[in-house]
Amino acid sequence: MKNKIGVYVCMCGSNISDYVDVEKVKAEAEKIDGVHVAKTTMFACAGSTQQEIEDDIKELKLDAIVIASCSPKLHLDTFRNVAQRAGLNPYNYVQVNIREQGSWAHSDNPPLATEKAINLVKGGIERVKHSKELIPIKIPSINAVAVVGAGISGMRAALELAEMGTTVHLIEREHFVGGRTSQWNVLFTTNETGQEVVTRLYHQINSHPKITLYTGTEIIGKKGSVGEFNLTLKIKPRFIKPDCKHDIKNLEKAIEVCPIEVDDDFNFNITKRKAIYKNYDSEFPEIPAIDCEACNKCGECVKICDDIDLNQKPEEVNISVGAIQLSTGFNPYEPAKGEFGYDEIDNVITLQQFKRLIELNGGELKYNNKEIKNIAYIYCVGSRQVDGPNKYCSRYCCTSAIHTSILVKEKYSEINNFHFNRGIRTYGKQEKLYHEASEAGDIFLQSFEEAPPQVERIGNETIVKINDILTNNEELEVSVDLVVLITGMVPREYEGIVNTLKVPVGRDKFFNEIHPKLRPVETVIDGVLISGACQAPLNITESVKSSLAAASKANSLVSSGEIELEPTMAIVHNDRCTWCDKCTEACPYNAIFKIKHDSKEVAEVSKSLCKGCGMCLPVCPENAIDLIGYTDIEMESMIEALIN
Amino acid sequence: MSKSEEYDVLVIGAGISGEEAALNLANQGYKILIVEKDLSVGGKMIHLSKVFPTLDCSACITTPKVSETARHPNITIYTYSEVSNIDKKSKYDFRALLTKHPRYVIEEACTGCQLCEEACPVTVQDQYQYDLVGRKAVYVPFSIANPRVAAIDIENCSLCGACEKVCPADCIDFTQEEEEIQIKVKSVVIATGFKLFDPTLIPRYGFGVFKNVVTAMQMERQLVPTRPYNNVLRPKDGKVPDNIAYVLCAGSRDETVGNPICSQVCCMYSIKQAQLLMGALPMADVTIYYLHIRSFGKGFNEFYQQSKDMGVTFIKGKIGKIEEIEEGNLKLRYEDIESGVVKEANHDMVVLSTGILANDGISSMFKDKLELDPFNYVMQKDILANPAQANIGGVYVAGTASGPMDIPDSILSAGAASAEIAGYLKEGEDHEK
Repeated sequence: MKNKIGVYVCMCGSNISDYVDVEKVKAEAEKIDGVHVAKTTMFACAGSTQQEIEDDIKELKLDAIVIASCSPKLHLDTFRNVAQRAGLNPYNYVQVNIREQGSWAHSDNPPLATEKAINLVKGGIERVKHSKELIPIKIPSINAVAVVGAGISGMRAALELAEMGTTVHLIEREHFVGGRTSQWNVLFTTNETGQEVVTRLYHQINSHPKITLYTGTEIIGKKGSVGEFNLTLKIKPRFIKPDCKHDIKNLEKAIEVCPIEVDDDFNFNITKRKAIYKNYDSEFPEIPAIDCEACNKCGECVKICDDIDLNQKPEEVNISVGAIQLSTGFNPYEPAKGEFGYDEIDNVITLQQFKRLIELNGGELKYNNKEIKNIAYIYCVGSRQVDGPNKYCSRYCCTSAIHTSILVKEKYSEINNFHFNRGIRTYGKQEKLYHEASEAGDIFLQSFEEAPPQVERIGNETIVKINDILTNNEELEVSVDLVVLITGMVPREYEGIVNTLKVPVGRDKFFNEIHPKLRPVETVIDGVLISGACQAPLNITESVKSSLAAASKANSLVSSGEIELEPTMAIVHNDRCTWCDKCTEACPYNAIFKIKHDSKEVAEVSKSLCKGCGMCLPVCPENAIDLIGYTDIEMESMIEALIN
Repeated sequence: MSKSEEYDVLVIGAGISGEEAALNLANQGYKILIVEKDLSVGGKMIHLSKVFPTLDCSACITTPKVSETARHPNITIYTYSEVSNIDKKSKYDFRALLTKHPRYVIEEACTGCQLCEEACPVTVQDQYQYDLVGRKAVYVPFSIANPRVAAIDIENCSLCGACEKVCPADCIDFTQEEEEIQIKVKSVVIATGFKLFDPTLIPRYGFGVFKNVVTAMQMERQLVPTRPYNNVLRPKDGKVPDNIAYVLCAGSRDETVGNPICSQVCCMYSIKQAQLLMGALPMADVTIYYLHIRSFGKGFNEFYQQSKDMGVTFIKGKIGKIEEIEEGNLKLRYEDIESGVVKEANHDMVVLSTGILANDGISSMFKDKLELDPFNYVMQKDILANPAQANIGGVYVAGTASGPMDIPDSILSAGAASAEIAGYLKEGEDHEK
């Protein structure tokens, strides 16, 4: 038992001391057996206080410390490091949370907040008395990362990881790379096209010896954990022979003769494509693919081109990586039937469709064979919803819509743009686009969330009505030739990923990071990182920044060849275990196995798989499982102190 | 012959972006030099109260980063220092001159006991409390400064020697001089942050004339744990305000003051302060006068909605003029956009949500021409694919040196810079082999 304990009660500036009488907490702590020194401090986490605690540990030969401050989520590692530097085992330290569980929660009742803090500190002291010296587990790590999604984020992350010396498996579900970026033409701010950016990155990826690209591929199985994930990949057949001469002319002819036409989702269904297809000429990989769901295997293409092999079967491949970076991107929000006339009035389309339309259109701007002169843009469709589930702002759409309206006006000078918005959010330098559009004569009309504009078909005319708060809330009507719904971002369908990798999603359904400032690209699943628009709506630059930040984290995780894990894990007392199997059912990580021990069957916990969640403990009828770091004696003495 | 030192990467600026970039690279084994012109590391973030949208205590998030940076075996920090003459001799070979200004206090010996402050007879405005209160001519910059040691503000010092007499560590040293160090590095990160717009440039808002018109940073200081008055008070008479107005876009989106762009953070920090004020002063009314609310980031729009639910009033209107009326109260004349009428409203305290601007003097540190964008931020040459790259090969930019952005975006931007640099340095190492 520890009997030279140091107790430090933090004021957190005044976050704690405004409501909790820290001097009283200190005085009570001092009275407890085994407490050698107790102090209050302005900021326990400040460099100078850390030094003071270190000095105390060394000079007073403390054998354990308790710090009563904020949530261990913030500073557990900070103070473990203090202990470590002073030569004390970091696990002879208990953090007591008297801020989130004390001062902040009970700001209305300081005396009781103080009393609660005293009890929490007493509990912490009793717990630390029984603490053991523990050593983190070290497991080997494979210097390889699986990057999921070959859009701009994934491609960029793959390249940087490879350049830092890490092997990369770049896994793309579609047959072609480039993701959403390849669907956009001229980009803000460089005037490069999306396809040019993708081409540039593809050539670098293709020539990099450390990157393997898998297209038409999904992760269908995962075993193991950080340091060594064993992934099973399923590769859809492309139906083109891998080692043939790839006669592009013949393949183009094969596309011509294909009798099957389906909606072209690359163009957001405003055009058709064949079952054998390429989305655009300079797309990568260069060879076309056959959409196995659309193809009826009529064989017309095979007659023309012997590079095609309709007998290809899906393949499964196993790879091992140290970490996984998810860059699975976004889908545009799909409006409901009738939402601002979508799918009911024939000249209502989405921003994404409109962007494809302008790119594909030659001379005149036409939709459904009708010339377009007046365009209404309706903002915040599927974002900032009053009734719907999407409460968030999709961030990129205001800028994207205005940028598109500028491009369309540059291309067709006769166009009139009407922006029906809910407050333009061209944040930062993007403001200059808003200014540019206003200068060019675009009309901006605004409503609040409660009274969105209405789209109606009256006779042959499509009318957009709004109570415009920029003109004294007057009702204005505009007759337009095209309505463009500025649809926001929703995450791509990811059930497979969520089920296989157990990545947490937030209320907005995007993947969730641990903390937006402290650990912005990490998830609670060790070794699984997130980046780009699968985490939150982001524009291209922002996506690339987050993907590079995640690549940097992934590299520092796996490149040293060794990963340190918490020693907190379950252990089985063989003498008590009767192998009833209840613990294996309770374990969410499949970390418990049956072994033979002294001629009886008992449970054993895998060190690399156990996360120390404790789910197995309460189900064990023999009380044969203990959690290292949270043993029964530690927890019981803590509870005892709390309730007395 | 002056001293010379060699590192892998020079990081200019020790705010959150500089620290993040330095830590990432140091953890990968690179030797980093951080040069900070201020007396302490921590940048602007260390002075903030709680930060949006999670309302984490800002000091609690910065201090661990600060102390991790300060203790890291691969990181060397020079505070109160500047770099100049950054000269690219060849790829992976930058030379620069580091100038360490004298603190007139022996850094290694000072214990931060602050006895010198008590003895010092000179009081001046405290820049770290944004002039809300005073400080002495010898002073520890602020309570969570790192290094937490004193410095003498020699311009205001009367050279009376009182501090020298009381210092128990004998660390006051008036003979200190500027020190110059020759630096050699392979790569440079510009993480010089931003400066705040000076609201006296908009005289019709009355800042500096009417005492109860304050900047958002002054309000921020009144809301932090280490706040000067331990309560929110009006500067003019020390009264607790009960009807506070926020004026958004003060110095942003305004061609007339030379800053046409949006500062990207003011809407959110104002909404955050409004929420904190409702906690600190439950009876107070808070009104935010805005042009557009730009709550665009993850969780931001939800945070904005929450402030409306808490009772913050939002008025879409441009403030024409602020006048002082009786008892130091203020009359705001504004165009109420919704009704199209010019209206007036009285408040007892006005907060100007001042925008952020590019810092000066960045390109003059470089011998080669460092390109800036039209708003004087560091130009990102390949913003779509390599967002951290500046126009000089081997020079990278992190955080608000490249444009206005909030803390989460700055951290990601620093992460991107460190990844790009690690790739760049690795290429050099492979080349050497």
